[in-house]
Amino acid sequence: MKKLKIILFVAIFSLIGCCIGIGLGWTSKKPVRHNFVIKARQYSYDPAVIVVNRGDTLNFKLVSMDVVHGFYLEGYDIDCEIHPNQKTFKLRHPSQGHFWKDTTDFTVIAKGYGKFKYRCSHTCGTMHPFMQGEMIVEPNVPYHASWGGFVGFMIGMISMFYLMIKKKL
Amino acid sequence: MTKKTDNEEHEELVLEPEGFRINLFKKFPLIKKFAKLKGFQFFLILPSLFIFYIIIISGLIGTPLGNRNIAIVVLWILWWFLLIAILVPLLGRTWCAMCPLPWFGDLFQRMSFFKVRTGKTNYLRNKMFGLNLTWPKRLKNIWLPNINFLILCTFSAILVTRPFVSSFVVSMMLIVATVLAVIFRQRAFCSHVCPVSGFIGLYSKTAMLELRSNDKDVCKNCTDKGCLRGNENGWGCPWFEYMGKLDRNNNCGLCMECVKSCPNDNIALNFRPFATETTLKGYDEAWKGFIDVGTSHAYSLIYLGSSGILKDWVNPTQSNNWTGFFTYVIILWLFSLVVVPGIFFLFTSLSHKLANTGRVSRMEAFKAYSYILIPLGLLAWIAFSVPLLLVNGSYIVSVISDPLGWGWNLFGTRDFQWHPVIPEYIGFIQIALLLIGLGYAIYKGFFIGQRLYNSPTAAFRGLIPVAVFSTVIALAFIMLYIG
Ligand code: SF4
Ligand code: SF4
Ligand code: SF4
Ligand SMILES: [Cu+2]
Repeated sequence: MKKLKIILFVAIFSLIGCCIGIGLGWTSKKPVRHNFVIKARQYSYDPAVIVVNRGDTLNFKLVSMDVVHGFYLEGYDIDCEIHPNQKTFKLRHPSQGHFWKDTTDFTVIAKGYGKFKYRCSHTCGTMHPFMQGEMIVEPNVPYHASWGGFVGFMIGMISMFYLMIKKKL
Repeated sequence: MTKKTDNEEHEELVLEPEGFRINLFKKFPLIKKFAKLKGFQFFLILPSLFIFYIIIISGLIGTPLGNRNIAIVVLWILWWFLLIAILVPLLGRTWCAMCPLPWFGDLFQRMSFFKVRTGKTNYLRNKMFGLNLTWPKRLKNIWLPNINFLILCTFSAILVTRPFVSSFVVSMMLIVATVLAVIFRQRAFCSHVCPVSGFIGLYSKTAMLELRSNDKDVCKNCTDKGCLRGNENGWGCPWFEYMGKLDRNNNCGLCMECVKSCPNDNIALNFRPFATETTLKGYDEAWKGFIDVGTSHAYSLIYLGSSGILKDWVNPTQSNNWTGFFTYVIILWLFSLVVVPGIFFLFTSLSHKLANTGRVSRMEAFKAYSYILIPLGLLAWIAFSVPLLLVNGSYIVSVISDPLGWGWNLFGTRDFQWHPVIPEYIGFIQIALLLIGLGYAIYKGFFIGQRLYNSPTAAFRGLIPVAVFSTVIALAFIMLYIG
């Protein structure tokens, strides 16, 4: 019983913190269109970080500066293979299997909240497994919620001990 | 400044709930039967020795591309994850019971696979071969493992991406372990040299498993002391532990010799709550905590981040950027050895000041509170390792069919496409893990304070800076992972 009370007590603080965090970080902007040219090289992408708003239209062109690289955009069912010195690259939707098609670009609508990574999906050298970039879809709800939630959690824990030594919990 | 009231001395302490203990030997007699077998360790080591050979060989002759070579995939994706996320938090040093590295040394010292030799060597009642020198007193701590760990960390990019290097380092460790076993007593390598030892030892304090004597009074009256000195039933503890005093997991390799040698059947294998042991001894252990928090943070930035410059810095043999490499080395060492402990010192000094009891010194508070780095650091390492497994785990499937990267297709899975598993949810798993670590740090922090200051109100005041520090550390990881 007491355990449950304590857990509820701290959870309420954390939740309030989450809400405050989300509220403070909230933005809603008019959707715009972005045209990205992403250059892949051993072992990073340029730009390494792109920041967009939820609802934005995103157009991607991909080029490789050295060897064959991949571009796997998590959460968007996109996987590409980029060859150097070529105007086109190969694109597939992993959920539909191995159906590659050549293309010059592709377009997605920014959805979800927070960080979505694009990773190299084609072995390109020693550090290949760590080659990645990040797309941040604002508002970054998980991040703001964590900030608020962690601080709320800390305050909750401290208050819990306060009540404990005052024999009120 | 808070005024110290008189009744503070007579305050009633807030009791930490008594943790459960379930003796697995009693509950599952089969486990005890297995532990009592003379071949217990041999049976555990045999499979890992086999895998170990495969790793060394494929590292030497297989493809230099890490994610296509079984050596790298098994060692740095599978083993690493199992070790840090499952074995250590649940089973403590169980890995050390099956680790093949010190096995040849053990074999040399014992000159026997199963039979226990009686005789006399130092304080032991076993006949041991080799020089049996005592380990130098000044190195009887984990500073050497700390430094060795940092050295491995420094070259991590090369280590975890070049099969040949992995294979070389692992073989070197085996050779050093064996040579040291010839010169020094028992498991000197494990206790005082092995770079993973400090890591496993420290975090196995959180483990939900412990091997302890059932009744310390029985030990007091025991004249045999077979656990420490060995007898005809078992070897004297290879890790120099005496069961009658053992109350921490750090240095028990779970080899189960004492289970065999104790004439009073006084050994229990207990299941217990997570993070039960909350004492660190000495600065070497505290610094191990700092090093682990520092390196896991640096690793998260380098390996889970998007910066190409950092990847060039840590990978100088390919990028040729040696200036970058040395910059990275200096930053990494300063950060882990000086910056993190420095920040921690500021916070614990403040805590000491707020508690204001005059009972203990500032440094004692620093040392006692440093325990909170253990749950924080462990959960941070797990949070760091989760994406390694989920994102790159699918390489295991393809590498099984083509272990050397030579184009074999043993099971028809060679061309299995790289496929990250739930990558878009990894961030949420990491948040949950860090929150658990933070919760344990703050919770244990209060009781550490109470032990230190012997007063709940002082412990409460002292907790505030410590809780803030823990939250700052957790949020620093959150920033890297999802910010
Ligand atoms: S301390 Fe190191 S070498 Fe010894 S058993 Fe454990 S992991 Fe293996
Ligand atoms: S031999 Fe058994 S009873 Fe004797 S000290 Fe060791 S653990 Fe205790
Ligand atoms: S106390 Fe010693 S003998 Fe017993 S299991 Fe641990 S390491 Fe082995
Ligand atoms: Cu690549």
